Amino acid sequence: MPLRRLFAVTSVLFLIVLAISPAKNYLRPYRSLQSRYRRLGMARATSLKAADQYALRPVAIRQIWLREFENRVDRCTTCHLGAADPLMKDAPEPFRLHPGTAHTPLDFERFGCTACHGGQGLATSEEEAHGTAPEAGPPMTPATSIEAGCGRCHAAETVIEAPLLSRGRALMSRAGCYACHAVRGHEGFRSEAPPLPALPLKTGGGWVRRWLADPKALDGNATMPNFHLGPQEIEAIAHYLFSLPVPTDLRRAIETAGQEPAGDVANGKRLFSESRCISCHTVEGKGNGSAPELSKIGSTDGRGWLLAFLRDPHAFNPRTRMPRFHFTEAESRDVVAYLMDEFRDFDAPKDLLEPIRVKQTLAEAGQKLFRQSGCFACHASPGAPEAEKFGPDLDGVRDKKAASLDFGRRNDLPRTLPAWLAAKLDAPRSFAQGLKMPSYEFGAEDAGAIVTALLSLGAQPVPEAYRFAPARPAAFLPAGRVGALIDRYRCLSCHQIGDRGGDTSTAPLTYEGSKVRRDWLADYLVISYTLRPILTDRMPVFRMPREEATLLADALEDFYVDPAIPDDPFAGRSSSDADPLEGQRLYTTLGCRACHILGSSGGYYGPPLTEAGKRLRPGWIFAWLKGPQRWRADVRCPNYALTDTDALRLTAYLETLRGAPGPRTAGGAR
Amino acid sequence: MTRAPRAELIPALLLIGGLACARTPASPGQGVAGQAPAAAPAQAPVPSYEVRLGKATYEHYCQTCHGETGAGDGFNAYNLDPHPRDLSDPTFQKTKSDADLLDAIRRGGAGVGLTPLMPPWGHTLSDRQIDDLLLYLRSLRRPPG
Repeated sequence: MPLRRLFAVTSVLFLIVLAISPAKNYLRPYRSLQSRYRRLGMARATSLKAADQYALRPVAIRQIWLREFENRVDRCTTCHLGAADPLMKDAPEPFRLHPGTAHTPLDFERFGCTACHGGQGLATSEEEAHGTAPEAGPPMTPATSIEAGCGRCHAAETVIEAPLLSRGRALMSRAGCYACHAVRGHEGFRSEAPPLPALPLKTGGGWVRRWLADPKALDGNATMPNFHLGPQEIEAIAHYLFSLPVPTDLRRAIETAGQEPAGDVANGKRLFSESRCISCHTVEGKGNGSAPELSKIGSTDGRGWLLAFLRDPHAFNPRTRMPRFHFTEAESRDVVAYLMDEFRDFDAPKDLLEPIRVKQTLAEAGQKLFRQSGCFACHASPGAPEAEKFGPDLDGVRDKKAASLDFGRRNDLPRTLPAWLAAKLDAPRSFAQGLKMPSYEFGAEDAGAIVTALLSLGAQPVPEAYRFAPARPAAFLPAGRVGALIDRYRCLSCHQIGDRGGDTSTAPLTYEGSKVRRDWLADYLVISYTLRPILTDRMPVFRMPREEATLLADALEDFYVDPAIPDDPFAGRSSSDADPLEGQRLYTTLGCRACHILGSSGGYYGPPLTEAGKRLRPGWIFAWLKGPQRWRADVRCPNYALTDTDALRLTAYLETLRGAPGPRTAGGAR
Repeated sequence: MTRAPRAELIPALLLIGGLACARTPASPGQGVAGQAPAAAPAQAPVPSYEVRLGKATYEHYCQTCHGETGAGDGFNAYNLDPHPRDLSDPTFQKTKSDADLLDAIRRGGAGVGLTPLMPPWGHTLSDRQIDDLLLYLRSLRRPPG
């Protein structure tokens, strides 16, 4: 009897246990969402058949399973049912149609959801999938940083259609993050910060102390961050820097230069403006800003140092972007005379240039600090550890769980990875005592861009098939005299050649030989000018001797060509295709003058075309007109989808433009 | 005789029940639910992704003539006769339908019977980029008055 009762009780208990699981499953939110979606779809459907399809949709977990892509299983579409359904445009979440992007709706099945959005694809409850539950895995990337997802596969610095990511990556390069932090793909990064051994002959203790205290306060263009050093630490590091032995050749160059007679200020002024130094430097904020501000340099730098540096900057810093101008001895004296005379700060503190009498104990303490603060990561110095990075690796930042982050004293922050990263950029030392990362004073927008770039760094690279890099040919850099000239004038500081070089200039040199005429180029290298009026003061005048200019122009013509650009686009064409009058008509009807100056009028955007026939090769004009974006993906010159005949006629017209007779004067571009 | 097998069935049935429980989709981290994360500080509403992309396209291709706010006062505006359209003008925004604006962007001024100084962008920008651009243009409308 008791056994029978026991059996009854266990049976009932068992039935209840058996019912729990289906009931729990039945009550899961996604089921009611799927019913709501069904009703919404039936209401929005425009035909009975379409409505039927919504009605017949089974309630079930849906998933995209990507075996080849890190074995992702994304069940997001269990709730986000309308992500690929055009009828769900502007529908309430979670049913809304996914915004159109380069990959949606095209590539849903290829990328799934979490590859871009982050979060937990396997989960089927909102809290767990979005990662808002404290115990869930890494959460979704916030909408403001969604371009981080693009950066998983697109490793290039500039990613078209991901402006925020591109900006963040450019900022990271400029700030030199990769000097301290290892990031895949940036193993070869070397800071352009100068080696320091010639410092005692460049400036004095007052300047060095102030610089160490806050570099940006002295020079808005400074890339060196603020290390928040105390007065004693500053003193110690200053003593250490002044204790470094100056290499003999630099010392000799600086000291002999310092004894040379003064130069001619007026001629120096002319040379300074002709050379277009503000292509990179600024004077009172005017200029490109990629090199130091010069408006106080006469009060902060010694004359001998300036003169020796101007004559051979590469001896002081092999990695500097500064070209070695071809000034004569006298001309460089004149330029420095002008700098010393014009760029003087009459309110400068008296101690700026006072040398430091090195105290050995302080210098030793300073050497230790130099190591401990990580200064060596940017400033090459003898005996510094070369291989290991000073800061933590950044690969895998994207996958960090908020629970694993050390928020330290920052109780004010939301406990999320993006908030943590933004605070690290804003006030890196505010988390705990003894942290080493310096402050960069990024504004909120720049910091947001960098957070986006950081959130693109996964622990593992995406599978090969998903990686995307724009095809750029490997840079060909010849050895010998031509290579030496390219190095001397630092063409790569601004221009791209193949997969190398900077982006200050919008004119890559990769196919320069197919683009411009040799004679024009040789003349241009001797007296260069700013091609596009919208860019004030670009392209320095190096005072290149004619012989060097000819050599470089020949080399560019020989090496830097593209087989897709025809030599003679008119070959095999009828003469009516080469009709310049028809071309002139096209020039007017297409509205080219909106951007290009021709004669006395026109827009300031593109290069003036007054001398187009003297400057450009016809094959290039034709190839460009047929599709400018092929040659530079983000160029603003629109593609007019011209027929071959129209493009040839326009080419023929531009070929006739040979400019006004008479010599062009340097600096006359604007 | 009949009781013994029934008693033996109980553990077997419990086992099946247990298996049934295990069949529900497993989800990682299920269980402990702590307090919700601190709410983010109140911020200006973030424009939609499309509008942000449209803004980037505008800044790159349009701003030089049409100006930062769309008022037709960009750097290059003063070289152009007629001046670029004031895109922020509420009347203009009201009179032009989406289709009108899309058409003008795609086919340029010449394509819609206006000045050729406004180039056609239909072969340079993708349909999607132009759609996003339109969304951003609509956001440039300044309040009337």
